[in-house]
Amino acid sequence: MTNDNTAKHPRKKVWLSECDDLMRGASGGFLFGIPLLYTMEVWQIGSTAEPSEMLVVLAVTFIIIFLINRTAGFRKSQGDSPLQAAMDSVEAIAIGLVCSAGILILLRRITLETTLSAALGKTIFESVPFAIGVAVANEFISGERKDKSGSKQDKAKQQNQDQLNATIADLGATLIGALFIAFNIAPTDEIPMLSSAISAPWLLAIAIASLLISYGIVFEAGFVNQQKRQQQRGLFQHPWSETIACYLVSIVASVLMLYFFHQLRLNDPWFMWLSYTILLSLPSTIGGAAGRLAI
Amino acid sequence: MSQGQQSPDQEQQKRSLAEWVSFGIASFILAAIAGLVIYEWLVQDNRPPAISVRRAGNTRQVQDQFYIPFAVTNTGGQAADAVQVVAQLRVDGKVEATGEQQISYLSKGETKNGAFIFDRNPNQGKVVLRVTSYQQP
Repeated sequence: MTNDNTAKHPRKKVWLSECDDLMRGASGGFLFGIPLLYTMEVWQIGSTAEPSEMLVVLAVTFIIIFLINRTAGFRKSQGDSPLQAAMDSVEAIAIGLVCSAGILILLRRITLETTLSAALGKTIFESVPFAIGVAVANEFISGERKDKSGSKQDKAKQQNQDQLNATIADLGATLIGALFIAFNIAPTDEIPMLSSAISAPWLLAIAIASLLISYGIVFEAGFVNQQKRQQQRGLFQHPWSETIACYLVSIVASVLMLYFFHQLRLNDPWFMWLSYTILLSLPSTIGGAAGRLAI
Repeated sequence: MSQGQQSPDQEQQKRSLAEWVSFGIASFILAAIAGLVIYEWLVQDNRPPAISVRRAGNTRQVQDQFYIPFAVTNTGGQAADAVQVVAQLRVDGKVEATGEQQISYLSKGETKNGAFIFDRNPNQGKVVLRVTSYQQP
């Protein structure tokens, strides 16, 4: 993520690079952890867990993450000393805890009425896959978006055709990624259950979070560097317009999946359609963002 | 992991201020969570579930139906599963209507709200609410 501005200000570059590392870690966590965040059994296991079990889970997670960090990790450049791996493990678990708690609050699984013990249990159990996702962030996704452009001469000749192809490729990749992650969630009881506890302002918050996470994964996580991003062609030149367009694709994919699995029927009230769709669009969008990087 | 030739000390020196700051914040978060878990452990209450149910607000009428809100609270030390709540409308000592509810899961200290729906006006008699059973999770 270097550019002229950061090159002139090495200190700023260090902070930006750290932000990129953390964003990359969080993105890996979202990709790996989101299916379990939509699993009611994990909420229940977390709610009934004893404090001693929670400490064991934290300790075992630390060991797993430490072992993964010895070979993988979420930082672009990292040493392989045990101390370095241990420090990165602490960060990976903290990222996992913060992100999973954030999503549990968004999904209204943790509210002001939730007891401290249940909130801790849910957060700790949900953070395990999240932290593993953080630790394998660099390995999980190849690192750079495929450059779909040809030589400069080709660009001049086939600009319109390429723009269209790049756009179709992006939208197609979003659709495939969305299906890949959300197809497992769409037929389950979690969507109606979450929907029953959610109000309009929270739905709006989930939609905004979906956009921010999608933007973060594709444009901020350092999976795609600045130059590649600028070279990336297509009808959506601006990162935000691409993010919004792909969110719309994820919404359409979510509606189709919900309808396919009989979760939504034509005579259901419109708010139910809206609520179910926005809830499923969060994992769909995360899958879609991963799809655009992986394909 | 491509710089394996460097000694651990060199790598440690290379850790930037930004990395130290994020490590500090991460350590604080992890320590806070572990601290809260240990606190929960210390104040852990092993008493069995103690579940009570009460009216939670005024009865409201929608068309010909009467909604009686209730709140179930578990004041015990352990969680309860499949909590069964029964409401009876008694008029002149005779049970005129009953309603049943099952609360799937009630954590310790947790309160869940709901409503019984009767088609007779509860003001004509007395509404008796009680918890009839629960399962251990």
